[in-house]
Amino acid sequence: MFETKKIAQGVHVHVHETTQFKTINFSIRFKDRLTVKNASERAILANVLQHSNEMYPSHTALRMVLDDLYGTSLYIDSTKRGDDHLINLNVETVNDQYLSDKGVLEKVMNLMYIVLFKPNFENGLFKESIFKREQESIVQRIESVFDDKTRYAQQRMMELGLPGHPASITSNGSIEQVKQVTNESLVAAYHQMLENNEVEIYVVGDVSPEVISSHIRDYFHFADRKELPAKTDSQLYPPAQSRVLEYEDMKQGKLHMMFFTPVTFRDEEFPVMQLMNGVFGGYAHSKLFANIREKESMAYYVSSSYASQFGLMFVLAGIDRKLEEKAVSLILGQLDEIKQGHITDTELEQTKALLTNQLKEALDSARGQIDIYDQYMELLEDFDPAYLISRWEKVTKEQIAQAANNISLQMTYFLSGKEEAKDE
Amino acid sequence: MNKMEFNQLEETLYHEQLPNGLTVYILPKRGFSKTYATFTTKYGSIDNHFVPLGEKQAIQVPDGIAHFLEHKMFEKEEGDIFQEFSKNGASANAFTSFTRTAYLFSATGRIQENVTTLLDFVQSPYFTEQTVEKEKGIIAQEITMYDDQPDWRLYFGMIENLYKNHPVKIDIAGTVESIQDITAEHLYTCYHTFYHPSNMALFIVGNVEPDSMMEFVKDNQAAKTFDPPAPIERIFPDEPKEAAVKERTLEMAVQKPKVFVGIKPERLDLHGPEMLKHELSAQLAYELLFGRTSNFYHEAYESGWIDESYSFDYSLESGFGYALIGTDTNNPEKFAQEVKKTIHQAVEKWPFGQEDLDRVRRKKIGFFMRALNSPEYIANQFTQYAFNGMNLFDIVPTLEQIEVADLQEAFAAVSAESQQSVFTIKSPDKDPE
Repeated sequence: MFETKKIAQGVHVHVHETTQFKTINFSIRFKDRLTVKNASERAILANVLQHSNEMYPSHTALRMVLDDLYGTSLYIDSTKRGDDHLINLNVETVNDQYLSDKGVLEKVMNLMYIVLFKPNFENGLFKESIFKREQESIVQRIESVFDDKTRYAQQRMMELGLPGHPASITSNGSIEQVKQVTNESLVAAYHQMLENNEVEIYVVGDVSPEVISSHIRDYFHFADRKELPAKTDSQLYPPAQSRVLEYEDMKQGKLHMMFFTPVTFRDEEFPVMQLMNGVFGGYAHSKLFANIREKESMAYYVSSSYASQFGLMFVLAGIDRKLEEKAVSLILGQLDEIKQGHITDTELEQTKALLTNQLKEALDSARGQIDIYDQYMELLEDFDPAYLISRWEKVTKEQIAQAANNISLQMTYFLSGKEEAKDE
Repeated sequence: MNKMEFNQLEETLYHEQLPNGLTVYILPKRGFSKTYATFTTKYGSIDNHFVPLGEKQAIQVPDGIAHFLEHKMFEKEEGDIFQEFSKNGASANAFTSFTRTAYLFSATGRIQENVTTLLDFVQSPYFTEQTVEKEKGIIAQEITMYDDQPDWRLYFGMIENLYKNHPVKIDIAGTVESIQDITAEHLYTCYHTFYHPSNMALFIVGNVEPDSMMEFVKDNQAAKTFDPPAPIERIFPDEPKEAAVKERTLEMAVQKPKVFVGIKPERLDLHGPEMLKHELSAQLAYELLFGRTSNFYHEAYESGWIDESYSFDYSLESGFGYALIGTDTNNPEKFAQEVKKTIHQAVEKWPFGQEDLDRVRRKKIGFFMRALNSPEYIANQFTQYAFNGMNLFDIVPTLEQIEVADLQEAFAAVSAESQQSVFTIKSPDKDPE
């Protein structure tokens, strides 16, 4: 799918030439190790670089240029995957063959260069007012999680259950660490990003790999850098508390359960665990949906998800706050069904069909192609969807039951309204 | 079968109205492995007062019924329809809006089987008192979930502020109390009135061959019998031009106060190309006043009275619409005051010229081209437009015709002081210890 070229030690260009899309997509990804300090600095850095630069020193000036380039979308975000922290410059621009206007692509590439290499510096530091403002933005972004009770509950469970583990570190870091970042430390983080981070550059669209690679060499001068050592799985330690109840002013009860599985993305058994999760609670045909929602009418949403980077599985459900115990026992009952091998041929076939469908659909967007390729790159020399599908096809019910037997419930976290707390 | 070609966009749309009244659209997308299909009825939460098919007297149905009906379509005597879609490798879903109920799937194979499932399950209602009762628990949890979401409460709070009588002010899912009154008989009445093929559209986009698919859909429909199409009589109350409530605050636990300024549009009677031009013109005007390149945004962001949650939106349907500008902020009064001041100044002296228009127009064309990469956008947006007599693919030619005076005129209809309203969500004051 992608044609890869190494343009410096630790810097790769991956191009997928296709007429499927009316736009050209770029994603430049800077990879570093995930720590709270790193994440906090880099979340601010992403915002500061996106705000303005030497050539377009105000937010308005930069946004106007983008509007003029047919609403080219350009944003920089910070994300995490496993124990990596990523800063991504994402750009999508209309392929100028659909326009009467030509030369858009070159202007866009030049702009990407300016955004990354010509920041809005004043005496060797980021412009102070912008730094302060974006630091404050990240603090507010972290605080706003409270308003989304599902995200908040999940975050609380992770903080309490796996403190310090990469699974509980968010891509924005922490309020405490964000507040400690100085303009000087941010400049250091910027140089670290440009000079020492591994860089993966993705391009998807109707472009020639030769032409685009040579453009990239011309515009971006990336020096050699060390590649990050191969990944190993972070050790999981059992949470200090196995059941936590917390109260906020709200109506619904948010049930979050965390399970350990000994299987990660990097294990042979990975496809088996994907199927196990799918049969259990991954889809609308799954056991959790069919029983907890449809049969018991207890929940509108109830599902399981598999965080394969860490070997964690979660179950989330929104339920009446009086029904926590009943819900937990019904959910574990469904897991027992799988442990005992009570899986129908239909359930197995449905789950395989949907995993396959999901993969193929994801590859129908440029962003999906980039994300999936970027993730599998460490595992597979040649990315091939047919190979991934063939691995699911081979999985048997016995293997799924076996996998379920290796799963252990580590923690239940329940967030619900305060009123009830007073009654009890 | 009719064919519309959009040369510069390199898209071709095939369409036909079948003898039973159903309109079918097929848009092949080169290079895609997925096919996405929506089967949509022009029936949403606002259609709560109407004359049932074959009757003379109008009835009023309980709040939340269109959404309830959507849930119940998935359950059949032989089981759950999600199971059928999963067997054929499709992800299925549905949604109910103010004006539409859409059933949909996406799949990368067995498309004919999945299209059959989609058409057949939506065209074979099965409701019993028992299954209706059972659904109430699930929907009550859905409503409760939304009740805990401050952004949803903010959005609906503003619509309630703007509209005095129009049913758009009623929450799409109803309330935990209102859904208790829903019966199987209600569902059948609504179903028979609004799910006639002549009130529906099927849109299939993606890896699909238009001729054989059209034949396939025709055969499926020809094998079923329907009553002859009859016009649907919907009744809407008179709605004053002014915002119903000028200002209101809801107390709810939030990290930071949230505020919306809303403006009720004057022209709610538009349809077809005129509506498209008006909507696009108003959107461009609002983009210039409140978008990322506006003076307002610049000042608000740098002064810290907006944050990353800032958004603005302009939406127009038949009979209702709104412009919304909002943010999380520690200073909601200041924000509302500045938004109103910005609108007022633009009314007094129109600040934009040709260059401004050209820039936001280019931005909008680019946005539209990006959106055409998404089968979901095409199917959903096309259907919404078609139900209002507009063609999605007219967006670019219409944008190209718009002049500065059109922006000014459209803005004038969405700016009067009497049409504005402010809605705020704040945490309750802490009890004194």
